[in-house]
Amino acid sequence: MAACTKCGAELETPLVCGACGTLFATEPEPTPFECLGLAPAFDLDAALVRRRLLRASRLVHPDFHGASGEEARAAAERATALLNRAHALVIDPAARADWLVRSLGGPAENDQRQMPQAFLMEVMEWNETLEAARESAPGSPARAGLDALEASLREQRESVLREVHRLLVPLPARNAPALAQARRQLNALRYLANSLTQIEALRLDSPSPR
Amino acid sequence: MGFIELNVLNNAASNVALGIDLGTTNSLGAMWKDGRPIVLHPEGGSGYVPSALHFGERGGVIVGREARELALLDPAHTLFSIKRFMGRGLKDVESDARSVPCPLSETANGVVQFEMRGRKYTPQELSALILMKVRDQACKALDGIEVTKVVVTVPAYFDDAQRQATRDAARIAGLDVLRIVNEPTAASLAYGLDRRKQGKVAVYDLGGGTFDISILSIEEGVFQVLSTNGDTHLGGDDFDRTLVEVAKKELAAVMRPSALEDRAFLQLLRLAAERCKIELSTDPEAYMHISLPESGVQWRRKFTRHEFDALTAHLIERTLHSCRRALADAKLGPEQIDEVVLVGGSTRVPAVRARVEKFFGRKPHCELNPDEVVALGAAVQAHVLMGGTREVLLMDVTPLSLGIETMGGAVAKIIQRNSTIPCQATEGFTTYVDGQNGIDFHVVQGERELAADCRSLGRFKLKGIPALPAGMPRVAVRFHIDANGLLTVTAKEESTGTSARIEVQPMNGLSDGEVETMLNSAYRNAREDFDARRAADLRTEIGTMARATERGLSQAGPALDRETRRDVEETLAAAKKAAADTRLEVVALQKRRDELERATLPLAALLMDHVAKAALSGKRLDEV
Repeated sequence: MAACTKCGAELETPLVCGACGTLFATEPEPTPFECLGLAPAFDLDAALVRRRLLRASRLVHPDFHGASGEEARAAAERATALLNRAHALVIDPAARADWLVRSLGGPAENDQRQMPQAFLMEVMEWNETLEAARESAPGSPARAGLDALEASLREQRESVLREVHRLLVPLPARNAPALAQARRQLNALRYLANSLTQIEALRLDSPSPR
Repeated sequence: MGFIELNVLNNAASNVALGIDLGTTNSLGAMWKDGRPIVLHPEGGSGYVPSALHFGERGGVIVGREARELALLDPAHTLFSIKRFMGRGLKDVESDARSVPCPLSETANGVVQFEMRGRKYTPQELSALILMKVRDQACKALDGIEVTKVVVTVPAYFDDAQRQATRDAARIAGLDVLRIVNEPTAASLAYGLDRRKQGKVAVYDLGGGTFDISILSIEEGVFQVLSTNGDTHLGGDDFDRTLVEVAKKELAAVMRPSALEDRAFLQLLRLAAERCKIELSTDPEAYMHISLPESGVQWRRKFTRHEFDALTAHLIERTLHSCRRALADAKLGPEQIDEVVLVGGSTRVPAVRARVEKFFGRKPHCELNPDEVVALGAAVQAHVLMGGTREVLLMDVTPLSLGIETMGGAVAKIIQRNSTIPCQATEGFTTYVDGQNGIDFHVVQGERELAADCRSLGRFKLKGIPALPAGMPRVAVRFHIDANGLLTVTAKEESTGTSARIEVQPMNGLSDGEVETMLNSAYRNAREDFDARRAADLRTEIGTMARATERGLSQAGPALDRETRRDVEETLAAAKKAAADTRLEVVALQKRRDELERATLPLAALLMDHVAKAALSGKRLDEV
């Protein structure tokens, strides 16, 4: 843990001193985990993450630097933007896992585009179900197929996330083979998330009468 | 804050900031005072400034209540609903343009202009006039204290161009904008402050021209917006329009088609429709009247609430559609919402209340005046920004995704909608040709897949990239959406560390130079506006003095010597003539008024004498 250059207090986040309120413009940018004062890990205490976010926000948010001049406002804007981006990444399991895999030297998402043939066949089936539902009215049998598909996709997503958890907890060593395996799971997760988004969009565009 | 700190040099209150709700139909100012936000109204006034403008023959612009009243006499020179044109180009406002009584044009950067009395006005300038009027009302309510710091509210679903236009309007009005705040968020501040609320809150805000739905999580002073959705082109105006369409269809039998499309006539129809709608909120049926004596048209039509509900059902359905999207983004079902808050004048429509209640399955809150709650919330935010409290933490979101147009015309999203602001993203760019020293990119906002279907925020040109082989330069472009929801773009060439220059061509926006010019002309206008008002005041004053003089002459006239009496009568006649002559301006009117005052001095003395004598003879004053 670093110390505040102004008052010497221990820093929870490199963005701001909790004791004297000094804002820091750190270069290069701190990592998302650093911004929230957390050690990099896939397993997180969501309540702790939120507490850290709110505590830091109360120090850095531009609302509290409104009367302190242009420079302070700009620093507050920058620090809060970093904090918010850090929080968005850390609370999302897929984004968090992606960041951890990359930071440990694992493959990027484009380095491992190849998906198993069987999985791709399955994706094509999802798309057919989606297409059929898209062309039929709410309440029809094709729409019922959509419900079944959604339930199955959600279940698969949970199981992929469990597998990611198994691979990344505890955090593997740099360049460990587990990172490539996690990347494959994360790529499957993207297909699942994409199809779930399409189902949601379809429901919103032609909602069932309620 | 129990006192107002005055800067004695310029009578400006250094620790006072105003919260302003710049509305489509009405605008309002509020301020934090003695531990709570209050609406500012001058003595005897409501504080509301109708967002209406009347353009006088001599170039003066009257804003607010008087303008709204003049609309009935002179609809061709009165404008309403300027907010619907903010940050918009001509092709965006086709449907609204039909109810504007004057020609429209566009600046080179795609800013709409209204042509009135031979002058062109942008929506930014017109909104500035409204803001100045709100500020003036507030100053009056504060016994003349000058306020320059403001928080201005905008619909949550306003995009960058619309927010920018609002900020420019405030700058043109000579105001220092501390923050642009989203209307539903402001409303939640006003509500949440009263009663320590906890839980998930939905704010349904249907105003005169815009609709917003925001889902918030509120706990221990933290107001976190989870999602927002809406329609910046849906509001009470559209409800009025359904009645206007019925009227036009039925009047087609008795009127020429060209007369039906007459802009001034449409303005009249709109006002009649609005009155009818408002009555229908309290009565099961109401009449819409149209009277055009010169063309012999007398039209009266009964509307039942049932018929009105059928005409407007599709509009309410559109708001619910936005509600579903907002809930989906917040990952909540309607049953998980703990409280629903209604904001905006249009939530007085009974069908709106009923449908919202059914949708969320709970009775919505409307304890606070839906017309005041946004301004009150803006005052809370102003208080926070002035360093008044750290108890309130507001975490708002950007309503629309931000993206860059890719080679194929698709959009690569770099900031997702409903991201907490301030937020930022950095994107790397490089060159395609050896020695290329510039890169162009196009920034858009919206949810559609193709850039052409999203709103263009502008085309950016990176300049001054060092001459290197293709693909070698690494330009990091940082997109920052600030706490106002406004975008700024900065760039840095990483291989050499030089900061690249960015030139922006704003879309539907004003350049800094244009804002500067308008700021200057706004002061000139304010002067003219002031003169117009002073002239009106003088006419009234002469009228009052003339009546008093006539009364005095009938009482004490015979006691005056002939010379004096003739002087009074002649001056009186001249003053009355001056008051009736609309071509006369302040100086001439002031002269007549002063002459009348001088000439009537002997008469006044005589009357005082009478009073004194009466008093001495034991009569009561009111018996004189």
